[in-house]
Amino acid sequence: MTANSMNTNKPKVLIVDDEKGLRIGAQRLLELEGYEVTTAENGTEGIKFGTETEFDLAVIDLKMPDIDGLEVLQTIRKKFPNTVCFIATAYASYETAVEATRLGAHSYIPKPFSPEELISNLKEGYQKRLVNLEAEKWHREREERLLEVAFEKTRLNTIINSITDGVLVINKEGLAVLYNPAVLRFLELSGIAVEEYILDKLRPEILELFNKLINQAPSEHKSYTIQIELKPNREFFVEITASAVRHSAVNVAGVVIVFKDITELKKIEFVKSQFVSMVSHELKAPIAAVYGFLKLFNDDSIKLTPEQRKDYETRSMVRLDGLLKMVNDLLDISRMELKTVHREIKKVCLHEIIISILELFQIDISKKGLQVIFDKDNSAHCINADSDEISRLFTNLISNAIKYNRDQGIININLYQSDNYVVTEIKDSGIGLKPEDKQKLFSEFFRAKNEKTKNISGTGLGLSIVKRIVDSYSGKIEVESEFGEGTTFKVFLPTII
Amino acid sequence: MNNKKKILLVDDDLDLLEQNKLLIESKGYEVITANSGKEGFEVFKKTKPDACVIDLIMEEHDSGFILCYRIKNDEHGKSIPVFILTSATYDTGFKFGASTSEEREWIKADALIHKPVIIEEFVQKLEAFYELKK
Repeated sequence: MTANSMNTNKPKVLIVDDEKGLRIGAQRLLELEGYEVTTAENGTEGIKFGTETEFDLAVIDLKMPDIDGLEVLQTIRKKFPNTVCFIATAYASYETAVEATRLGAHSYIPKPFSPEELISNLKEGYQKRLVNLEAEKWHREREERLLEVAFEKTRLNTIINSITDGVLVINKEGLAVLYNPAVLRFLELSGIAVEEYILDKLRPEILELFNKLINQAPSEHKSYTIQIELKPNREFFVEITASAVRHSAVNVAGVVIVFKDITELKKIEFVKSQFVSMVSHELKAPIAAVYGFLKLFNDDSIKLTPEQRKDYETRSMVRLDGLLKMVNDLLDISRMELKTVHREIKKVCLHEIIISILELFQIDISKKGLQVIFDKDNSAHCINADSDEISRLFTNLISNAIKYNRDQGIININLYQSDNYVVTEIKDSGIGLKPEDKQKLFSEFFRAKNEKTKNISGTGLGLSIVKRIVDSYSGKIEVESEFGEGTTFKVFLPTII
Repeated sequence: MNNKKKILLVDDDLDLLEQNKLLIESKGYEVITANSGKEGFEVFKKTKPDACVIDLIMEEHDSGFILCYRIKNDEHGKSIPVFILTSATYDTGFKFGASTSEEREWIKADALIHKPVIIEEFVQKLEAFYELKK
């Protein structure tokens, strides 16, 4: 005897009884009634069949020689809780019935039973089974849906909690219904309880936004953005954006407020305005000087000798010249910042650039009696670049090497390859740099000020431009210097861009 | 004319230094000059001037302050007027305006002179100081 196959739609019944006649009789009867019947002749077999396959129904004899019917019942129910089980017994007593029901029997059938009794019991049991299965299915679906909702909620929370901006949702009643940990920093609170009344903890500016939005006309769909300095001295700036949360098109359910840390942005703004201050100050100085000389020329109470007058005219010219250079440098910097420089990238051989720059400075070089050491035939070092920019880069560096050199000094220019860089080394025997000046060297308007530099003119922008050009080619610049000994600049430019 | 008052003028802009020197000299003062905060203090110690006029921004943004502070902490410096010369007002964005009492207290300068120097105003402020001392 084998367990049933699963692929029929007939209700499947397991009969467990040690009484052979009853087994055969019941089987015949039930098969005629449209059941698929499996029989087991003792408890052991009953457990085996009943747990191998899920039966819709089982009729289990209480008293069997090997295993007690109640145990068979329990074992099957444990595996398949939806199998509807009946206990058949000739010793029907109230206690047995209660015990059987407690252990999961649907009902008990007193022996001997008539075919009608059996059929009606099984019919009712089968209905029960279908109802149970339906209920279970519904229950499972509901569980799944709840799980899904819970998962969605968790996911939303996880996302909101991961946002570095602060998010706070306040309902119409002023309760904090949703918020993330980041918001605490912006509200300067150590914690918010779930659905805590929050309006009295908000800064007045934020409360004002809340009130505006809550009372917003249905037609209005405006959000508001404000900036607040939470801590003085540019330590903590916050941008706050608030918008209404609408239930339907008409009802405002609450307000969502997003807090953004804009401290870094404000710092950049500050540096920019500082730069503007510095620029205006630097531009003002030569204007003041020229203005001063013109005033002297026009002051009747001051008698200038013709030599003095001539001297002051020359000095005015020098200052104006410097001013012009500075304006040009500033324009260069601004063009580089705006990236409006039109670059014509082509093969540029550095030795050619350097030769032409040296020619340009020939007069200054001989005036100072400088000796330039440079291998003009070293033509192996070429890069892809805009030749004007590269020319400006080395003009600034070579001009410095001349300006800050001593009389009869030496300029040593060397081109070589290092990894994937072309290195241009420009070494002078000039006044050199103090260690503290080295770090500030590339910042705008920095000029090393000491006894030796006070008569050297410059805009303070040359090396800043150099650095910007080098950076724009993903290169690097290094400086080695000893005060009083000279300075060496090494410019690394990528061979292939 | 040995009773001419000696004014120490400190500015790192050599052109402005010379212009202001000429202007102040034209009003009958003797002018001695220095062009850095450091040199300024050396000249001050050596010459014991009757007044100092110090440019605010020299080698560093605060070189003028520091020089002023050092002079005002000197025994002789306490008895003479020290003026700070500046074009750095709020329009250039530098924080200092010597407009708050703390700032004035800290640097202890007797007056701020704005660039370009209006010599009549300068003389007036200077002489008012000497009048007060009498």
